[in-house]
Amino acid sequence: MIRNFRELYSYRGLLLSLVQRELKARYRGSVLGFFWTFLNPTLHMLVYTLLFSVFMKNQISNYAYFLFVGLLPWTWFSTSISAGASSISDRRDLMTKVRFPAQVLPATVVATNFCNFLFSLPLMVVLGLFFGVLPSWHVVAFPVVVLVQMCFTFAVVYAVSAFNVTFRDLQHIVMNLMMLWFFLTPVLYKLSTIPEDYRRVLQVVNPMSILITSYQAMFYEHRLPDVVPLMSLLGVSLCLLWGATQIFESRREDFAESI
Amino acid sequence: MANPPTEDAIVIQDVVKNFRKRTIRGEYTTFKSELVRWLRGNRAPKQNRFIESLRGVNLRIPKGQTVAILGRNGSGKSTLLKLITGIYAPTSGSITVNGRISALLDLGAGFHPDFSGRENILINGIILGMSRAEVRAKMDDIIAFSELGEFIDEPVRTYSSGMYMRLAFSVATHVDPDILIIDEILAVGDEHFSKKSMAKMTEFKRLGKTIVLVTHDMSTVERWCDQAAWLDGGRIRRMGTPAEISAEYRKAVSLAEARSTVFTPPALTEGGGALPGLPEGAPVTDAPPPVPQVAVSRVWLTGPRGEELGTIAPETRAEVCIDYVAREAVEDVEFVLTLASADGPVLYATSTRTDRVPLPTPLPPQGRLRFVLPRVGLLGGAYVLSVELKTGNNANPEAGREARCTFSVSTEHDDRGVFRPEHAWVVEEAPAAPVQAVSVPKHAAAS
Repeated sequence: MIRNFRELYSYRGLLLSLVQRELKARYRGSVLGFFWTFLNPTLHMLVYTLLFSVFMKNQISNYAYFLFVGLLPWTWFSTSISAGASSISDRRDLMTKVRFPAQVLPATVVATNFCNFLFSLPLMVVLGLFFGVLPSWHVVAFPVVVLVQMCFTFAVVYAVSAFNVTFRDLQHIVMNLMMLWFFLTPVLYKLSTIPEDYRRVLQVVNPMSILITSYQAMFYEHRLPDVVPLMSLLGVSLCLLWGATQIFESRREDFAESI
Repeated sequence: MANPPTEDAIVIQDVVKNFRKRTIRGEYTTFKSELVRWLRGNRAPKQNRFIESLRGVNLRIPKGQTVAILGRNGSGKSTLLKLITGIYAPTSGSITVNGRISALLDLGAGFHPDFSGRENILINGIILGMSRAEVRAKMDDIIAFSELGEFIDEPVRTYSSGMYMRLAFSVATHVDPDILIIDEILAVGDEHFSKKSMAKMTEFKRLGKTIVLVTHDMSTVERWCDQAAWLDGGRIRRMGTPAEISAEYRKAVSLAEARSTVFTPPALTEGGGALPGLPEGAPVTDAPPPVPQVAVSRVWLTGPRGEELGTIAPETRAEVCIDYVAREAVEDVEFVLTLASADGPVLYATSTRTDRVPLPTPLPPQGRLRFVLPRVGLLGGAYVLSVELKTGNNANPEAGREARCTFSVSTEHDDRGVFRPEHAWVVEEAPAAPVQAVSVPKHAAAS
């Protein structure tokens, strides 16, 4: 794992350039260009707000803001996974024609989506101000939560992208699983609305629920996130990351041949 | 892994490369195929066979040398290059590379069509192993070399294929590697640009870089390379001077054609599908060639004053000098002289037997034949003269050896065709009586 990341670090120039290019490429040729970074989550938010606070009334105050707090990190996670799944198998040109460090490709996807996440944060703050929610000092925990999510995302993306090279169905399976995962994660609703019995199970089984509730704690409920679940998730994520890099390393020699 | 001597840029030891053979129906393992296989009760794929691409390659490439790798399609050349580059890992054996390596296996890796040439140079350069600062520093050089001018800030998708290749080639050659790996991509762009890229290659050679080259163009091999390795049936069949190897390779191919050998994919064929051994017995790898009893030691072209020439004018007198060495008393020898244009077609062939030239029998231990041409009579271009020795009885195993020389004809006439006959134009006021008008002056059209 250390070796994998050291290599990744030595290719940081390449990673940086690829991320830059992905960010630029995403909206190149479109009229609104970079504004889509803000527009996309806003439109998502509007759709869900219409659905869950106009059609199906709920009791959450400032629902649009609440939703946005959970939706942004979820988008970072889910687009990383679904785009990361095919990140290696789609780049035959790079894998078979030049000597190319394979882990840069999934890393690029995660990093690019992370940048998009960061870019849309100001929008969240503005939306909060619109609802009269001021950011509190509790946001100091933000880097920690981001770090945990980063580790977890990396672990999943590494494993999925490595398997997808030989088992192409995975990218479609992942896409559908993400949908299910989204509804099992308290983005649209509060964790407290889940019956007590299931809540524990969900928290243990679904690491994303720990992360999303942590963001909601900091930005919406103005309290520090629960330390125990978050730290245990960090431990679990590091273990997963170790396992995922093992899988990745053991398969990477086959990448060029299997693609 | 033992430390290799420092003068070798690349050391390849007993490298074997097998590829897993994919099932015939689908390229990839799918859930369905897995399920069907599992239901049928056979856990392992039915044909878990391997494609043996390389079956034990040993090769040392010394620093600063240009080495060509020859071989028929599918003989494993590209696989070998990919192994050297590190794209593939060998199934067994070891590869040691000393120095920064840059591979021109494919031009334009990672080019994004929506980005400008300039942006693509940055990303492509980094993919090829340069640092960002390095690419920025070389940016102007690369743009200048590509000769794209204003187009450099246009999206790459608007480029013509020639422009695309030029840009890609420019980036690739500016990586400044110690070892350059090239797979059949020297012919990029128009004549002007390919001259430039050739000059760039010459510069690489001059700077003492190691170049490994895969090509099917024998003239490139003979002109360019210091050594050639012949990859056949997944092994290095022979390594030696480019002239030797390319001649032997050509012969083996024509022999296979003559025997109407079916050209199956070598990697799938039992025993490697190597080309047939030459009649004198396949030479052992790296063994010095047997000393021939009689051989053409040198062929060259001289001009009107007997000076050796590489370039000649079409209207001058020229002689082809053929030096031969006979180590034993041989009788019934025939010298076959063939003139061909550099791109292949034979223009003229004759022999001492055809022309009934009285040769001394037995041949003296050393001698020279001169083939006198009162005027060259060729069009501008590059030509190859080859002289082959044949003996009537087959007692001389190496008598098939040939020697060759290349020369070019330069002229300011832009006439076309195959040859330049002696000719003159006559302009007359009014047509004279038809029969009478044939008195052509003997004078040839002087330049």
